[in-house]
Amino acid sequence: MENVSALQRTAGKKPWHKKLMDGFDNSNLFPYCLIIPVLLFFIIWNLIPTLWMIGMSFYNYAFTTGAPEKFNGISNLIDIMNNDTVWGNLGRTFTWVLATTGIETVLGILLAFLFWNSAKLPGRRLALTLLFTPMLIAPASVGAFFKLLYEPDFGVINYLLSLFGIAKINFLGDLKWAFPAVTLVDVWMWTPFMILITLAALGSVPKAELEAAEIDRLPWTKRLVHIIWPYGKFVLMLGILLRTIDSFKTMDLIFMLTRGGPGNTTELVAIGLYRKAFEGFTMGWSSTLAVILLFIAIAFTSVYLYILNLSNAEKE
Amino acid sequence: MSDIRIEKLRKEYGQTVAVNDVTITFPSGSVTCLLGPSGCGKTTLLRMIAGLEDVTSGEIYFGDQKVTDLAPSKRNIGMVFQYPVVYRGITVYENIELPLLQEKLSDQERRKRVMDVVETLGLQSSINKDITKLDNGTRQKVAVARTVARQPQIILFDEPITNVDVASKDQLKQALKDLTRMLKQTIVYVTHDQTEAMTLADQIALMKDGVVVQRDAPRSLYNQPNDVFGGWFLGNPGMNFFDLSAKTNGHGTEIQTGLFSRPLMIEGLEKDSNIKLGIRPEQVKVSGKKNDRMVQGTILRKSIVVGGQYLVTIKSCDQTFKAKVEPETGYALKDEVWFEIPLKDIIIFGPDGHRLDVKTSLA
Repeated sequence: MENVSALQRTAGKKPWHKKLMDGFDNSNLFPYCLIIPVLLFFIIWNLIPTLWMIGMSFYNYAFTTGAPEKFNGISNLIDIMNNDTVWGNLGRTFTWVLATTGIETVLGILLAFLFWNSAKLPGRRLALTLLFTPMLIAPASVGAFFKLLYEPDFGVINYLLSLFGIAKINFLGDLKWAFPAVTLVDVWMWTPFMILITLAALGSVPKAELEAAEIDRLPWTKRLVHIIWPYGKFVLMLGILLRTIDSFKTMDLIFMLTRGGPGNTTELVAIGLYRKAFEGFTMGWSSTLAVILLFIAIAFTSVYLYILNLSNAEKE
Repeated sequence: MSDIRIEKLRKEYGQTVAVNDVTITFPSGSVTCLLGPSGCGKTTLLRMIAGLEDVTSGEIYFGDQKVTDLAPSKRNIGMVFQYPVVYRGITVYENIELPLLQEKLSDQERRKRVMDVVETLGLQSSINKDITKLDNGTRQKVAVARTVARQPQIILFDEPITNVDVASKDQLKQALKDLTRMLKQTIVYVTHDQTEAMTLADQIALMKDGVVVQRDAPRSLYNQPNDVFGGWFLGNPGMNFFDLSAKTNGHGTEIQTGLFSRPLMIEGLEKDSNIKLGIRPEQVKVSGKKNDRMVQGTILRKSIVVGGQYLVTIKSCDQTFKAKVEPETGYALKDEVWFEIPLKDIIIFGPDGHRLDVKTSLA
């Protein structure tokens, strides 16, 4: 009897952790508690610095002068608009984005189709794993690695060229060769990403539709247009946009390879910004340029969101 | 048109045998349903016929032509998949026409073929609609139309009604029924739905564990299952089975059971054995009134089934079984009932589950 009454006494009691949860059960607080850590992270690391940067873009402020910041309205913006170097860097950046993303997309699609059609080939998994390693390496390491490969005196590439009787080329120091040379490194590094994206896009195509097309004897062009493209286009376009945005921000890879040189042939807008902000310490002017770049990135993101919404609307 | 001959066809996935040395012929110009529960190997068999799965061993012939190693596109077949396959970005008409563009046909002939099949399947109102705007039922009709318009020598259906919404199911089933009656092609139709198989098939091949256990006309398969599985799988609910012990004495083989008004005599059994007696629920006669030929039982459950009939679960002599009775009789039944298991309808299965060719009578 004593045991029974002890059980009855404890039956109504809950352990402390369940009691704690009771407080959340009857309120709407719980969902908010879950998102607070992310929200705090976002506010501290994204929102405050961005607002700070936007605010600073209206000031004339340089670390080197020691003078206090001075409000100058949109003078920084006007100065940037009239700055030929910025426009040159922006033009070069767009060429860079177009060249790297374009080559990576075409190569990625072609190689992905090869892998897609070789599902039964032995060693396919190993080959895919090896192929993806470049994009897992830090861009700074890739830069340092390729700098050695491109080295005119003891670099492997020049050694291989010399075997064919080709004279030494200073790939990273030659005005003509520098831009294609760094483009090639980016292509080496990021083509696997486009292979991955294309394979994901191809993976979203229902097997039955491809089998039906095979039985219906459709030529591959029709299969591409009526089956593969309708299913794969959103994933592929997402990949292209992600590459576009990422390529637009390229800095570390080129900085390690050429530091924007020779002259300014490989100086992209992010490198110019770095120079102005952390070598010239003109923080106000650099903040204005950063805000402009932010708006360009937002424009890319809007395109990406528009396409995603389009995808969802089509699914509905 | 040609028949499909399958000889000792086998498919293994690692240690699992999906199709186990199947030998069967699908007659030319007829509709054969491959029927069986999920995982019995019917879809794998169909996909091997289509060339979409490699065979582990065995041969497939279309008429006299060996096609075992031919690519699907070289087999001159058509296939309708479980999931409605349509080509996107084009209209219904263009979908049906697309495979025909690969054939050497005049524009007039191509158009005639498309319009004929559109009319047969009642797709006239959707002909210019974008394929993505259609429901699954209509999409599946388009897939059927596209396959039929090509006029291949063999058409394979892989559970085409499964992924269609309930509202379109009956409509599509009727359309398929009309179509299969019209077509001259050899048709193999995979389904797990016995009603669908009974409605459409000239012959049903019943599959279990990778093996075709019986192939027969629908009515024969239902009334004379070769084994316990056929009796259990076909019918809703399936056959009632009674485990009984047969003893041979000076008068023949006799079974002492309370299920009959007198002992059951079996002619043709060679020795004492444990047998199974099978009877379909609708063949059991049930009455509320006592009759000399009938045996008393107690109703455990009573429920109305589709069509208004009553399904009653009866217990008698430690055996429980189901009976289907007409609405008026079912409604009037009280707890105590009288039933008769007609000898002409019972099937005797041996200890291995196969049907025995024996004669039965009451002592």
